[in-house]
Amino acid sequence: MSTILTATPPRTTIGSGRSIVGRIGLLPALLVALVAGMSAIDPQFYGILNILNILRNASFLAIVACGQALVIIAGGFDLSVGAVVALASVVTAKTMAAAAAAFPGNNALIIASGVAAGLGCGLLVGLVNGFCVAKLKVSGFVVTLGTMSATAGVGLMITSGIPVYGMPEAFVKGFGRAQVFGLPTAVYLALAVILVTMFAQRRTLFGRYVYAIGGNVDAAVVSGVSIQRHIVGTYVLSSVLAALAGILLTAQVGSGQASFGGDRMMLQSIAAAVIGGVSLRGGVGRVEIVAISALFLTILGNALNLLHIDSRLQPVFLGVIMVAAVALDELSRRRKSRV
Amino acid sequence: MSDLELSVAAKDTGHTRWLPAEWLWRAMLPIALVVLLLGFAAVDGRVLSPANLLNIAQQTSYLALFAMAQTVVILTRGFDLALGPTVSMVSVGTALAMAGATASGHDTTTVLLAGLGAGFGLGIACGLFNGVVIALLGVNPFVATLGSYNIAIGVATTLSAGRPVQGVPGTFSQIFYGGNIFGVPAAIAITVAIGVVLQLMLARTVFGRSLYIIGTNPRAAAVAGLPVKRILVLTYVLCSALAALGAIMMTARTGSGEPNLGGSLSLQAIAGAVVGGTSLAGGRGGVGTAVLGALFVTILSNGMNLTRIDGYVQMVVLGAIVIIGVLLDRLRLERRQ
Repeated sequence: MSTILTATPPRTTIGSGRSIVGRIGLLPALLVALVAGMSAIDPQFYGILNILNILRNASFLAIVACGQALVIIAGGFDLSVGAVVALASVVTAKTMAAAAAAFPGNNALIIASGVAAGLGCGLLVGLVNGFCVAKLKVSGFVVTLGTMSATAGVGLMITSGIPVYGMPEAFVKGFGRAQVFGLPTAVYLALAVILVTMFAQRRTLFGRYVYAIGGNVDAAVVSGVSIQRHIVGTYVLSSVLAALAGILLTAQVGSGQASFGGDRMMLQSIAAAVIGGVSLRGGVGRVEIVAISALFLTILGNALNLLHIDSRLQPVFLGVIMVAAVALDELSRRRKSRV
Repeated sequence: MSDLELSVAAKDTGHTRWLPAEWLWRAMLPIALVVLLLGFAAVDGRVLSPANLLNIAQQTSYLALFAMAQTVVILTRGFDLALGPTVSMVSVGTALAMAGATASGHDTTTVLLAGLGAGFGLGIACGLFNGVVIALLGVNPFVATLGSYNIAIGVATTLSAGRPVQGVPGTFSQIFYGGNIFGVPAAIAITVAIGVVLQLMLARTVFGRSLYIIGTNPRAAAVAGLPVKRILVLTYVLCSALAALGAIMMTARTGSGEPNLGGSLSLQAIAGAVVGGTSLAGGRGGVGTAVLGALFVTILSNGMNLTRIDGYVQMVVLGAIVIIGVLLDRLRLERRQ
């Protein structure tokens, strides 16, 4: 087994040389330019409230995008993440409300049961996705399209579309809206997720195998990688991380809502992954750049709001930037292959 | 090594032996349609009333048109996520153009032509954007059409300020919704006509055949000397033009330009095509699969509405149906090989 590992040293599978270096340079440069430009134009931008707001929103997106990136690197797609955010939110809130009625005052038990139920939903959806894709060999796009509809339906069914209240104060004020060393708790969780995923991508068999599967499935099979287990793993991680984001959102807002996440979160997570250099052909991409790209997208949205650009026009910017980022990447790849 | 054995074992088609013969497969969706109709009729007799059957046919004609549009690009291994927003954008553009032309005092013919011109113009522009980005710049269809999805939503809501656009002349609705040809409502007649033309095109023309070749093996198509890029651009333009036609018909039905008209149509159209048996791997499908799939989805939701099944439960059922449909199709392919 170890021979396989040494046969594929990290650098070669991540991508070849210059364009990756160029892109790592490009995205932070854009980010710095955006931040500098906005700071010059509008002093509100670097106000502490706005910065905290940006960091919190970027954390939610980064957590979801990390999972999405893993699935895409393995050569798949997860359209269901937005719906999982919503389902985890309402299930967490419902469970906490029920537990609070059953065991009044026992905050630890209430919170633990709620969080477990929320993450459990993510686990379940991820297992269904992974099972259908890996065992039944149905295209990931179609499977997650189906589970997206089904998951969103269940979320709405449970709540009839009405926000769910009744979570303990300790969960909302003590966790969701709390700040540690001046930063929201969500930021620390997002950082932890990013660091763990970075480590997993570089140093664990799972991470290396995900690259191998996305890069060349046949080669991975021949090398003895158990494809099915690792593909299920990526879908489960993606859904569980989406559920985590849903729980964090619930804790911050103070109610479980079936309208959280949705198509917008799903599209944004894919956009963040793609702009962050994850190739839809599979086998290429790193979560730290995806996280930067999530920050970039969040700041961009914030900047457009501060500049009073009509919120209806904002999707146009997102669309153009996405297509441009991928087109540039494709063009640079072509130029290199021609040389 | 056990992993290797596992994945080899998974390729064994032993578990497909119980599946029925090929002819039965072909008849399965039509049979399922009849069973579905009879099942719903058993719960509620109104399902089979002439008025509801006509209603189903009319509903199906819109979705079938969109599923056909989607099928054309899916044949080439692509898909168009932007179809729904394109419909919204065309609806708003058509209504605005007609309202504007009416306000500046033009006669009815000019007003209608302005509306159709604006609608198809916007649709074709969107298709051209998709086609150029995908075929010439080599961007993955998912990203490209996700980009135009956002752009079209932005344009539609900005043009309309997020509100329905009034001022659609009555004659427009009369022609594209109220009108009929030999007693057949306009929507059904148009979709049937388009379906026939499209089927002839896919089966009998060089352009149509080359879509299947590109979908089956793009490299072979290029080596065989097909102008793959030009064909792909045309394919996306055709898809968006069909979507624009559907949008115009739906605008005639609602009588106003709706910025939310497209809503979840992109995914519904893909679901319709896929349930009908169009392969996302490209090269397999046609007008028949699109129409059957659209019919199935429409009958399912119509029946569930009449039997008062909760709208949220319907979402769950539709999601499950999409997965099961694709799964059955894959099993069928495995058996054939």
